[in-house]
Amino acid sequence: MKPNTFFSRTSDSRRTSGRTAPGTLLAAGLAATLALTASGCAKSEDGDSGSGSKSAAEGEAGQVVSSPGAGDRETCVIGDYGAGKRNLKSATVGFSQSEKEANPFRIAETASIKAEADKRGVKLLTANAQSQFSKQISDVQDLIAKGADLLVIAPLNSEGWDPVLRQARSKHIPIVTIDRKINATACKDYVSFIGSDFVEQGRRAADRMIAATGGKGEVAILLGAAGNNVTTDRTKGFEERVAEKAPGLKVVFKQTGEFAREKGQQVTEQLIQSEPGIDGIYAENDEMGLGAVGALKGAGKKAGDIKIVTIDGTRNAVRGIVDGWIDGVVESNPRFGPLAFKTLDTFTKGGEVDQEIVIEDSAYTKDNAESDLGKAY
Amino acid sequence: MTDIDVGGRVRVDRDRLLRILQDHGVHLGVAVLLLVNIAFTPHFVSAENFRTQAVQVAPVMIVALGMALAIGSEGVDLSVGSVMALSTSLLSLYLGYGMWIALIVAVLGGVAVGMAGGALVAFVGVQPIVATLALMVAGRGLALVLLPQLKDVRDPTMASLGSGDVLGVPYLVLIAAALALLVAFVVRRTTFGRQLLAIGDSRPAARLAGLPVRRVLVLVYVCSGALAAIAGVLATARLTASDPTSLGHLMELSAITAVVVGGTPLSGGRVRVGGTVAGAVLIQLLTATLIKHDLPPSWTQIAQAVVIILAVYAARERGRR
Repeated sequence: MKPNTFFSRTSDSRRTSGRTAPGTLLAAGLAATLALTASGCAKSEDGDSGSGSKSAAEGEAGQVVSSPGAGDRETCVIGDYGAGKRNLKSATVGFSQSEKEANPFRIAETASIKAEADKRGVKLLTANAQSQFSKQISDVQDLIAKGADLLVIAPLNSEGWDPVLRQARSKHIPIVTIDRKINATACKDYVSFIGSDFVEQGRRAADRMIAATGGKGEVAILLGAAGNNVTTDRTKGFEERVAEKAPGLKVVFKQTGEFAREKGQQVTEQLIQSEPGIDGIYAENDEMGLGAVGALKGAGKKAGDIKIVTIDGTRNAVRGIVDGWIDGVVESNPRFGPLAFKTLDTFTKGGEVDQEIVIEDSAYTKDNAESDLGKAY
Repeated sequence: MTDIDVGGRVRVDRDRLLRILQDHGVHLGVAVLLLVNIAFTPHFVSAENFRTQAVQVAPVMIVALGMALAIGSEGVDLSVGSVMALSTSLLSLYLGYGMWIALIVAVLGGVAVGMAGGALVAFVGVQPIVATLALMVAGRGLALVLLPQLKDVRDPTMASLGSGDVLGVPYLVLIAAALALLVAFVVRRTTFGRQLLAIGDSRPAARLAGLPVRRVLVLVYVCSGALAAIAGVLATARLTASDPTSLGHLMELSAITAVVVGGTPLSGGRVRVGGTVAGAVLIQLLTATLIKHDLPPSWTQIAQAVVIILAVYAARERGRR
């Protein structure tokens, strides 16, 4: 077996081209990368996807507080917290975002905070922890050092906040956490938490699934990322409600799609082959639901053959309802700006605010998907 | 190993056993998994199912082929997952010019990353694991700068690349098979392949023998980058969306697993293309089996770990020689 000369140029390169200067190739490689990066000459497809932030500033899609006026709710006033009154207009607000703005939820959330700060003419400092908790801690410390008088935090974790909270407390800085809770005492370590009830979202998804399947048959769950409280809560709410209201509906399959479209597609492909009789798929976020749609299309199914219910309310998923592939989308509203600033405003003026503000999420079905498409993020 | 006492004899037998396990363990594993599934998994024996498994494994297999070359040269390429993300971003950005231009740009992106990695390894003398780790971080970052979030791909040619077939065999599978044959040919029959193995076996010896060590090393990483970029393009076509956040996430680990399980020693000097293909299939079947039987997702990871440890254990004795 004599090696042929397919790559013969390589073999005698030593002679023909002599020594290449060490840095030349590296430089060439990096330069080529940069040249490609120059998006000046890039030309992407026409289309309107990725325009999620557009509607974030629209007031119509802002959040509504669910069930106010309940007698047993706990409130907080500025005297209890140990801070002095302040005018929000002249204050500096620091916003610490937990994850990279690479998904529609985070994009809409940050955009909403920024838009509301603009609208109220409040000076806003922002930081993004890029999913690293240690970075979020130092982000918040930086924000305090840069002179933030008030803080809005979208926490990555619920634990590990003690040192930062102590620091904020010593400077009497009111903190509002959004979308996830932190494990600390409200009205002492932080003022209040504003967010969705993920268990309730799961229950509402179950209601939608029961209505779509008639409460009978077999359903699969595409779980979110493991070890995430959103996953746990959305699963708990769904399973509880199904067991309670529709004993004829069986959950026969539970596998993680890690909140990503590709994984959702791959898992659904396996599912529809091993369980061809499946009646419904509950995806714990829109992206996995869209992956499931892709898998069903690939397997030659028709829209509506298998009922799909998802949670989040992104534009692509709501469009999926219009197209008939998705049966229902329970919204998880990311537009915290108006409510967060309203809470801070009331609080700093000396008013009473709730320690836990649960927002009301709307839902999309074929009745409103087309008309409310503009509200989806 | 010339002792002829009893202990030595036992030792030689064990060596032979390990050698057989290393050479054929992966095929054995695939066969066992197939039999288990045929016996216990409902609807497993169907054209649709085999098609699904083949389509899902295709991108992993393509990335693993490049990884096998890197490992064969006594290196490793951790940047492959990020290269997939970069290629999907570039593809999406350039689709306005038509599929072929976008495709070429995406693959060139992989080539550029490979060139940078290869240059760091070959000329600057950075350890492959460190050089490609840097590019793994940088590549994902760059991909997200170019395309900050998931974007749908509407180009119909791309969609048909992802879901179309020839006589029932999906394009993805055909492309993966063609690339496997090409890599096998390059490793076995070309000067480059021979030089790669010689360098992987002993770099000082290769240098003394006058082989163009640096040039070959750069080319190895260029091949790995290009293959990863192709895998990224195919995965994008299948998803009909560019998702630089999660595409290729942890792909480097799947690829290394496929290569190692396939019997390519981490010590270099040997590339088993057939074994790598079988290794990728083994992981795919393992995942599919656990999903189809609805076992807890964390079990998949544990099962993969067990397979890796078995494979490395089988390779251990050989590496020592």
